[in-house]
Amino acid sequence: MSSKIHADYNGIITKKDLRKVFWRSIPMEHAWNYERMMHSGYCFAMLPVLKKLYPKKEDYIDALKRHMELYNVTPYISTLPLGISVAMEEKRAEDPGNFDTDSISNVKTAFMGPLSGIGDAIYWGTIRIIAMSIGVSLAIKGSILGPILFWLTFNIPNFGIRYIMTFLGYKFGAEVTTKLEASGMMEKVMRAASILGLTVAGALTAEMVYLSIPIQIGMGEETTTIQEILDGIVPGLLPLALFGIVYVIFKKKKCSPIVMMFILMALGIAGAYFGFLG
Amino acid sequence: MSTAIQAILLGVLVMLSNAEWFLGTCFIQRPLILGPLTGLIMGDMEAGIIMGATMELAFAGATSIGGYDPPDMISGTILGVAFAINSGQGPEMALTLGIPIATIMLAISNSIGYPILQIFAHICDRNIEEGKDKAFQRNFILSGFVAWGVTTPLLLPLAFYFGTDKVTSIMGSIPEFVSTGMDIAGGLLPAMGFAMLAQMIMKKDVVPFFFIGYFVVAYSGISTTGVALLAVLILAVMFTMNKGRALSSEPVVKVETKGDGLDEF
Repeated sequence: MSSKIHADYNGIITKKDLRKVFWRSIPMEHAWNYERMMHSGYCFAMLPVLKKLYPKKEDYIDALKRHMELYNVTPYISTLPLGISVAMEEKRAEDPGNFDTDSISNVKTAFMGPLSGIGDAIYWGTIRIIAMSIGVSLAIKGSILGPILFWLTFNIPNFGIRYIMTFLGYKFGAEVTTKLEASGMMEKVMRAASILGLTVAGALTAEMVYLSIPIQIGMGEETTTIQEILDGIVPGLLPLALFGIVYVIFKKKKCSPIVMMFILMALGIAGAYFGFLG
Repeated sequence: MSTAIQAILLGVLVMLSNAEWFLGTCFIQRPLILGPLTGLIMGDMEAGIIMGATMELAFAGATSIGGYDPPDMISGTILGVAFAINSGQGPEMALTLGIPIATIMLAISNSIGYPILQIFAHICDRNIEEGKDKAFQRNFILSGFVAWGVTTPLLLPLAFYFGTDKVTSIMGSIPEFVSTGMDIAGGLLPAMGFAMLAQMIMKKDVVPFFFIGYFVVAYSGISTTGVALLAVLILAVMFTMNKGRALSSEPVVKVETKGDGLDEF
């Protein structure tokens, strides 16, 4: 589509830039919080690339904001979605007129759930267990090799795969977007990505937003809780309602995020004090 | 080494292990690593290694998958091992002493740490809004260290110096509803993160898919990988059905835009 992109185009993002993304991905979970999880870590890792791609200040700020949205993934493979994001941002910066900017968030989101599933199984479920059994079996006899081997067995894959994933993610993202542009399939695939991303976002909302009303009603054997009644109608109604309310409030710009944050925290504490939430 | 110096060194060790997430979630806060380091401070490294191994097994299930918090292994391990070595007891003693402390410390550090991170997140937003990327990076790095640095690194040395009984009774006087309330808030706050994300990716013509993802999980509890697979299959069906009809210039994926009950969107 764009005349600027031809077969031997190498991009403006260099190996050095990608290495920077790798180093900056290390504190990914440093500011993890319940509201948007790894958002600031992701943005922190993307920052130098965005600064390079968007010399105009407004574009740069918009790009930073894009990567301040909720994100969560097994930290050890976070460089894979980061690499893909870098490739997509690069394509967008090349040709802002034709690139669907929202697709960057859509693709990121679509990867969030499945990648975490795989990553958690490999790192927490497998590598950690292997490292632990090696470490504990030696350490229980008092050998210093136990802790050392434990740390190395876990961290060589941690940092090694994290490093490789940066380049794989970028290569994958760049190749796929270039091919799609050439074949004219871009629009269709980006639409598919938006559907996939939104489905995963819905699934994650159901998984991570939690509230219940444990207030009891009825007497004797008839005792039941409001939550049980609600679950009997449609499960997950309350978290969905909460999501809907917050969504509408934000959409109408009735309330700033920081005020909303305090409201939700106060609601949690009041709920615990009076016992209407659990 | 005097008890006061040991207490200070243990505080430094807590601070160091709080850098876990800054250093790539690299497991320096696992009992297997903290045990020997505590042993070193207490003057019996070998005992520290063995106790660390025992506690590692006890905390085997403690990982932060998908945002659920493990008990505070850091203070549990350090205090448990330190007291056990001091009193000349074995690894079982480290466990008995460590676990209750771990539970209390977790409640306190979470009640203070998460709100701090929350506030910093919004300061970072403002920095970005104003184009101050240096301030954003500084606040990002500061946030994690401040949030986890103001509680355990100060409380743990005190607990070590004055003994667990005193500290546990003081800590126990903090009303329970505060920490329960923070747990509940932990379930409410993601609604905000997803609502903000949805502002960006929720387009009118694809809205039903959000609800497909939501209710599939709400009803069945299958993993998000399963939901993603389902979405890919739905897309495949849409693609083939459209292909059979006509190869027009229209987008291949066409979605029903009208759904009932979605008027609010």
